[in-house]
This record gives sequence, structure tokens and C-alpha cells, in this order.
Amino acid sequence: MVAINEGVISQLRRGVLEFCVLALLRDEERYGFDIVRALSAADGLVTTEGTLYPLLGRLRKEGVVETTWRESPSGPPRRYYRLTPSGHSLLNAFTAEWMRFRDSVNSLLDTGAIK
Amino acid sequence: MTTTTMHPLAVDYVDRLDRAARRLPRGERRELVEEVSAHLSEATDPGMSEAEIKTVLDRLGDPEDIVEAHWPDEPARPDRRGVHEWTAIFLLLFGGFLVLIGWIAGAILLWTSRAWNTRDKLIGTLIVPGGLASTVVVAILTGTKRKCISATGRPTICTPGPSTAHSILEIALFAVCVVGPIFTAVYLARRAR
Repeated sequence: MVAINEGVISQLRRGVLEFCVLALLRDEERYGFDIVRALSAADGLVTTEGTLYPLLGRLRKEGVVETTWRESPSGPPRRYYRLTPSGHSLLNAFTAEWMRFRDSVNSLLDTGAIK
Repeated sequence: MTTTTMHPLAVDYVDRLDRAARRLPRGERRELVEEVSAHLSEATDPGMSEAEIKTVLDRLGDPEDIVEAHWPDEPARPDRRGVHEWTAIFLLLFGGFLVLIGWIAGAILLWTSRAWNTRDKLIGTLIVPGGLASTVVVAILTGTKRKCISATGRPTICTPGPSTAHSILEIALFAVCVVGPIFTAVYLARRAR
């Protein structure tokens, strides 16, 4: 039996992960732990939760998300993340691209031909 | 903060992360450690068993891997310390002895390099203009004040001569002109990336 090269899968995962973060933030702002737990609940998307925090930092540095501190009902204040206008347009662009990609790959995997 | 109520294993984990993150820019390091600490205080409580804490830490992953994931491109980034940068450092240090032109050339190389940020470049230029050759300027300036030698060639007591405070100031100035440029050369060599 031939095993899938784990490197390929992890590259695929890494490539889409940041857009999954953006998608989580499309309609509401969330704090870090909330984002991490939501993504972990998705099957096969996150292997190590900790690496999501550097990703959040990078997204902020790139200006696609911004943060604000808010009081939490319990414990210390939390850093909330939300999309910036450029984050929204990046997410829209990726969504369109992903739909095309997904349709083509699915079609090939299902029928061995492009519909 | 919340760390006081965290399980010792979690505290230990945060310490490891903080150490692993040393090479990151200060602000990013602080933010990463803050976020992971917040994660731990949300995901754990003091009543948890050791095994439960370990599960939480396993899910987070190795601190070293987290830092490694920080900028995946970082390790592959080429070292920008080339001939350009080393020449700049050399000329800033010694170029002043070539009638200052060498130092000016060094400053131009410094400002045209992409290996340093503006702060580094300001430090490189201002500490100390002229590099080690600035000591010559200080020596000449202080030397002219000391012409208190009598006609016979024997030193005489200079009545209006420099006060002790004055000579301390001169020595300090001289020291700055030696230590400053050396410090800057080491600093620039380390900061160049």
C-alpha cells in the first residue's frame, strides 16, 4: 500500500489554514482561544493548536485582521480579532478561487473527468 | 497575573516557549507568550490532574515548533552580510583616517544597505562620526590647550592650565571616541540580517 506523503498534506493544510481563520472572523470578532478551539473542532485541519497563535500574529502584521482588548466576564481581558476591509476582500478572493479549485478536483476525483 | 494560579507544568511550558521565542522581535515574542498563556489559563484549571494538563500541552505542540512556525520563511532568509556590509563596518571604524573620505564612503554604504533598519543606520552614523579617527580630532583639540612648555623645553606649571575637571572631561571624551566606534562596529555586525 502506498502512503500519502505527510508533507503534502501538511502543506495543503498550511496553505488553507489562514483563510479558515479569516472565514471564522467573517461575521463576528473572536478571541484567540475561541478561534483555536473552533478550528480544532474541524476534522483534520489543525495538528498543533499552538502554531495558530503565530499565524494570528502574522495576519495582524499583514493588516488583514486587527485586534482590540475587551473585558471578559471571567478572568483577565481578552484580545479580540476581527477582519479589516482588506481581510474581507482577501477572504472573498480566496473563496471564489477555492470554489473553482474544489469543483475541478472533486469532479476529477469523482468521475475521472472534468464535468 | 493568571500565571500564579496555573499548574506548574503549564508555567514550565510558558517558560520554555519564552526561551524558544528569544530570537523573535520583542513585541512579537511578548504577544505570542501572552496569547499562549491566555490559552493555558482558559484551557486548564488548578484542579486538573497532571494527565489532563499534559493533554492540553500536547494539543498545543512543542514550544520550539510553535516558534519555528512563526515565520516559516525565516530560516531560509539569506544572510545579507556581504562584502557591502563588511566594507561599511570597516570604513566606519577606520575610514576616518583617510582624510575622512573613507568614513563618508562607509556611511554611504551603510545607508544604501538593506541589512540594517533606520535606527541601526542612525546609530552607525552618530556613534561616533569619523569613527576611531575622531580620537585624532580630540587629541589635536586638547593638545593645543596644553602648550605650556617653557622655552627650555621643560614643562612648567601652567597657571591658567586645564583644571582637573577639565582633564577628566578630555579623558572621557577620548574614551567615548574609542569605545563608541568599536561598540557600533560590533552592534552593526550583529544587527545586519
